[in-house]
Amino acid sequence: MGTDMPAAHVALLVRDLQVSYGATRAVQGVSLQISDGEIFGLLGPNGAGKTSTLSAIEGLVRPDSGTILIGGIDARANPTSAKARIGVQLQSTSFHASLNIGEIIWLYGGLYGLSLTKAKVLDLLRDMRLDQEASKRFSQLSGGQQKRLSLLIATVHEPELVLLDEPTAGLDPQARRQLWDRIDAIRKTGRSILLTTHSMEEAQSVCDRVAIMDHGRILTEDTPAGLIEKHKDDSSVRAVARGQVTLDDVFIGLTGSDVRE
Amino acid sequence: MDRLPRVAAPSLQGTLKALLRADFTVQLRNVRALILNFVMPVVLLFGLFYNKRASQLGTVDFRVAVVLMTGMLTLSILIYSITIARDRERGVFQRLRATPAPSWTIMVSRLAVQQVAILVLAVVVLLAARVLENITLSPEAYALTFVVVLLSSATFLGIGQALVGLVKSADTVNAVAPLTYLPVLALGLFGHVTTFGDTFETIARWSPGGAVASLLSGALQPSSWTSDTWWSLGASIAYAVVFAVIGIRWFKWSTT
Repeated sequence: MGTDMPAAHVALLVRDLQVSYGATRAVQGVSLQISDGEIFGLLGPNGAGKTSTLSAIEGLVRPDSGTILIGGIDARANPTSAKARIGVQLQSTSFHASLNIGEIIWLYGGLYGLSLTKAKVLDLLRDMRLDQEASKRFSQLSGGQQKRLSLLIATVHEPELVLLDEPTAGLDPQARRQLWDRIDAIRKTGRSILLTTHSMEEAQSVCDRVAIMDHGRILTEDTPAGLIEKHKDDSSVRAVARGQVTLDDVFIGLTGSDVRE
Repeated sequence: MDRLPRVAAPSLQGTLKALLRADFTVQLRNVRALILNFVMPVVLLFGLFYNKRASQLGTVDFRVAVVLMTGMLTLSILIYSITIARDRERGVFQRLRATPAPSWTIMVSRLAVQQVAILVLAVVVLLAARVLENITLSPEAYALTFVVVLLSSATFLGIGQALVGLVKSADTVNAVAPLTYLPVLALGLFGHVTTFGDTFETIARWSPGGAVASLLSGALQPSSWTSDTWWSLGASIAYAVVFAVIGIRWFKWSTT
């Protein structure tokens, strides 16, 4: 599945990844590759294995088997070096409750070996339009501000690869657009992004390539337009399409109409 | 497109510095911890010295040891375990683990902050005992007491760690912590009381609370250090090892 590009231009290479929780096999042979400066979207219904795939790449769960190379570094053999090269925004995250957001940035900068001055922290917050909130705690921020802060912390050390787990979930359209602009700005600096999303609009707006995942496997992978072109004549897709085939139709056609909890 | 500069893995020193600064800040802003650290021991000391019946608990040294033991137990079980369980449930640890910080540094930082809080508590108790009761120790006794406080705090922090290792939900830890705290405290308090019979006294004396209280009592008065005190030291270390092994073996960083 598209894993034959020269290694020098590969930000992330995952090969035959397997993750289990007890008897449950959450990820079953996932392979994917992300090039420098590319935004790759992982789509799938609830329980498809998206977060488990990301967690394995982030070093939060131990895969049963498979290869994970981050910028050419074996993440399973050298987790510390690999983690230093990635930025992470978890699906639901929280920070030390009684630290203000300036102190949280200082902490995470320190964990990546940065010694940030107060002025630098304020600069970073200003860039995210959070400088007025510097003395607030994370729980006192709005949903959109929390997501922007999480993104700022994920990129504070200017990583080569940024992993975003449902970065715009629960945001209103304005906040979502703002975050897409931020994601686009990250890409323009040459960084690669792997994000998971339930939003086809998001996938089409920000992703260069997307993969649709279900039951722990990648079902298909291409550009958003390429996916529509590839699957527009599938009977399962035609059965759910209402008029012109959309990415939504492809997604539902491939993963089924049943609601997942 | 040029490759971005490679980010070097941060140093262990830098990681610990960042974690310790954050954890100390959190501890200093925890009003409940500060009250338990500074107010509760002084109130308890008053209670144990101005209540006539409290003298039945044991010698003056033993009663100071009981105050120290109570404070250490409170910080270890009612503050440490509940804070760890709550932060785990909120995803604080998972977020930290996604950074290059080795997982052990996250917990070592938390434990170090509690150890310092316990040392501060010991200073407050010994100062209060000196001011209120004119209890003055020899320099050797002060030094020995601080060493023993550090050693025996591992017993109680071990119990706190075992609690969050065995119980996943923060609400359940919140409910179970006082249920763990009270018997350990009660047994520690009655470690030198024979009113309830020899069997109870033996159980109380060799319980985690009783062993630590006896050990602290011995440290406060080194001339009274006996073979029983050595056995208390052995028992405290054994408890610390057993509880730490349970706490580490079954600890999960996430509740999901």
